[in-house]
Amino acid sequence: MMSNNMETSAAAPVGVQPATRPAYPPGDLAIWIFILAELLVFAVFFAAYAFTRMNHVELFNEYQATLNRDAALINTLALLTSSYFVMRGVVAAREGNNALCARWIWAAVAMGVVFVVVKSTEYAHHLGAGVSLSTNDFYMFYLSLTFFHFMHVILGMVILAAVAVKARSGGYSVEDHTGVETGASYWHMVDLLWLILFPLVYVMR
Amino acid sequence: MQYKSQAVAKPYFIAAIGLFVGQILFGLILGLQYVIGDFMFPEIPFNVARMVHTNLLIVWLLFGFMGAAYYLVPEEAERELVSPGLALLMFWVFLVAGALTILGYLLVPYSGLAELTRNELLPTMGREFLEQPTITKLGIVVVALAFVFNIGLTILKGRKTVVSLVLLIGLVGLAVFFLFSFYNPDNLVKDKYYWWWVVHLWVEGVWELILGSILAFVLIKTTGVDREVIEKWLYVIIAMTLITGIIGTGHHFYWIGAPEYWQWWGSIFSALEPIPFFMMTVFAFNMVNRRRRNHPNKAAILWALGTAVMAFLGAGVWGFLHTLSPVNYYTHGTQITAAHGHMAFYGAYVMIVLTMISYAMPMLRGREAANSNRSQVLEMWSFWLMTVSIVFITLFLTGAGILQVYLQRFSADPLPFMVVQDKIALFYWMREVAGLVFLIGLLTYVASFFVGSREPEATVAVAEKA
Amino acid sequence: MNTTEPTRQLIRPCTLVYAVLMLLTLVTWGIGRAGLSGLGVSLLVLAFAMLKGQLIGDWFMGLRGVRGIWRWVVVIWLLIPGGLISLAFILSYRG
Ligand code: HEM
Ligand code: HEM
Ligand SMILES: [Fe+2]
Repeated sequence: MMSNNMETSAAAPVGVQPATRPAYPPGDLAIWIFILAELLVFAVFFAAYAFTRMNHVELFNEYQATLNRDAALINTLALLTSSYFVMRGVVAAREGNNALCARWIWAAVAMGVVFVVVKSTEYAHHLGAGVSLSTNDFYMFYLSLTFFHFMHVILGMVILAAVAVKARSGGYSVEDHTGVETGASYWHMVDLLWLILFPLVYVMR
Repeated sequence: MQYKSQAVAKPYFIAAIGLFVGQILFGLILGLQYVIGDFMFPEIPFNVARMVHTNLLIVWLLFGFMGAAYYLVPEEAERELVSPGLALLMFWVFLVAGALTILGYLLVPYSGLAELTRNELLPTMGREFLEQPTITKLGIVVVALAFVFNIGLTILKGRKTVVSLVLLIGLVGLAVFFLFSFYNPDNLVKDKYYWWWVVHLWVEGVWELILGSILAFVLIKTTGVDREVIEKWLYVIIAMTLITGIIGTGHHFYWIGAPEYWQWWGSIFSALEPIPFFMMTVFAFNMVNRRRRNHPNKAAILWALGTAVMAFLGAGVWGFLHTLSPVNYYTHGTQITAAHGHMAFYGAYVMIVLTMISYAMPMLRGREAANSNRSQVLEMWSFWLMTVSIVFITLFLTGAGILQVYLQRFSADPLPFMVVQDKIALFYWMREVAGLVFLIGLLTYVASFFVGSREPEATVAVAEKA
Repeated sequence: MNTTEPTRQLIRPCTLVYAVLMLLTLVTWGIGRAGLSGLGVSLLVLAFAMLKGQLIGDWFMGLRGVRGIWRWVVVIWLLIPGGLISLAFILSYRG
């Protein structure tokens, strides 16, 4: 399972035996440093949510009930699916199949669009109801956390689109597909963050 | 020096060092006024001296940035500057405007200066760091535009590197954010917003890009490490700077009447601002350790590493110290702030300009790559004198600040401001002594340009022994 | 690293992982819909989330094929917010 396509992975540093596992994750190391920093920001935000909730349990429970859990479900499924598509895109790129890679990645972007649309209707609903950052602590966190994540979805989509365009024009190969892995890693992170955000903000009470 | 037009950097650097000396002299006057209240009164009141101290700082740093850009860009773009003549003209415009403004501060009462320069037409005066008369501000804009035009066109017409593009974004940002200083709303909350959008977005935003690119340039030149590796670091540092720095502005919105959510936004994002500074430290040491050659200019490498460490300490550590809103509630506007302001400005921006001067000046003065050994030894002495004394200034002010916070704001029965100031006077005396050492260091620095200039250049082997 | 190797197999391992992810999501949503609450439920939901995150890290990000510290980045990260959130919930149910 491990060994057969090691030599095709651009992540393997020069000089490492093909048989050993690479010391670095797929994609450009720079994106991983960036991912770490982003993960840290969100970890701090998540913890701040949980500890603020600790002091206002009633308030948080009351206003959590005003959120649209079904919309959040759709969005979670959309992001998971998009991550799956992206992963298939990476596999296609590793096998040197640029056209297939582009198709998978575009499909992932389409899932991103679903997310953006659903989330936007949620925002429209809340803003229409007069909710703002200053309404209360719960909404402050809800809006801040989800909107900050929303911006990451958009950035991720831009990155994926750039990857898809390059793949479409045959820009990757069996030897060199680091770009696909780089974009994919970032997108998986966007997914990962939502996987914590969803239960924390929408379900746990 | 590979391109003739790089020579325009020289007058900029010389002016920067000259104004730096002035800044420190006024710092010493200020420091003395802290403990001898009427020192030099009424000739130079505290508020005027303070204005001169901080304005000179900003102006000489701008001279330094421009000089650095004029030196760096031709080499990166692999072509001559589009217009060296314009660069020289702007040098004189800026110098004369700067000198007149400082003279205005010193010779005319501030309100008189406002009348004289018709401030009522477009009122912009009276805000810390941005005290310049409106006409001077307009002059700064003209100089900045001409400068960005000159640099930008050179980059666009030549080889485009990550280093020069990041520098360009930083410089354009510097000019754009300065425009906020022209809007001076009556509403005090808005007024503060706009003020911070200049001050904070400068030092914790676009200036960091300038810092990163100059540091990268000097490291590429002195270590010979692959550009690709350095560029990657630069990308990550820049991205982190912008993510944390822009929303991090919120750490100034806690007590000015802004909405409450800024307590959270400001705390969380600014708490992460030290990360890019830390990355810069790791980056600099990493590059020097992986160096492919030994550069004979040891002093420049010392400055570069010093910048990386001191910027992290001053901005990262001392910034973090008071950035969370529950902490800032007590420390806001105390000597803790001043301690941080001194070490951050020195560690990040003073030192990066001196790094560039140290690297470029030998070539600008006709050397092959480095100064003579004697000159470098003296320069390294000045490095240690200035750096150690700013550390002490910071520590003394931090001590003063902790006591101030406790006595004035934290203890069961808080004391009035001036009573507390009397109690912590000892720290101010010690700060003044450290300031004197700083001045000695600075004079040593100036002397290093005149010492050993007839002696042969340091070579790698010789420099190794030093 | 190679999450899809046996292409001739009926279902790729990664597709199976994807199905598990979808399933856990539905369960989480169902718990919310049923209006379940309490410390045990919250921690269970959080555990699901961490398991999902770990699956994403291992299979989608490809970390299971990496050695050394990077192999564990996502797992380690998950423990930080996961631990802090658990702590906050435990404390809020205590007091
Ligand atoms: C090189 C970068 C930096 C420079 C040159 C710098 C400089 C300054 C200066 C001069 C002030 C005083 C402004 C005033 O007159 O009120 C200030 C305030 C402040 N700085 Fe920085 N700073 C830097 C980076 C940072 C970072 C990274 C942080 C946070 C981690 C930070 C946190 C703060 C805070 C919280 C204040 C407000 C203090 C108060 O409430 O009085 N700074 N900074
Ligand atoms: C390169 C070295 C220096 C830099 C970068 C620097 C920078 C600054 C800055 C940014 C401020 C404004 C601080 C704020 O608003 O909180 C300031 C104020 C001041 N500086 Fe300096 N300074 C330097 C050297 C000195 C020295 C050597 C002294 C005196 C020994 C000194 C004494 C003062 C005083 C007394 C103030 C006024 C603080 C107040 O308003 O309470 N500075 N300086
Ligand atoms: Fe700031």
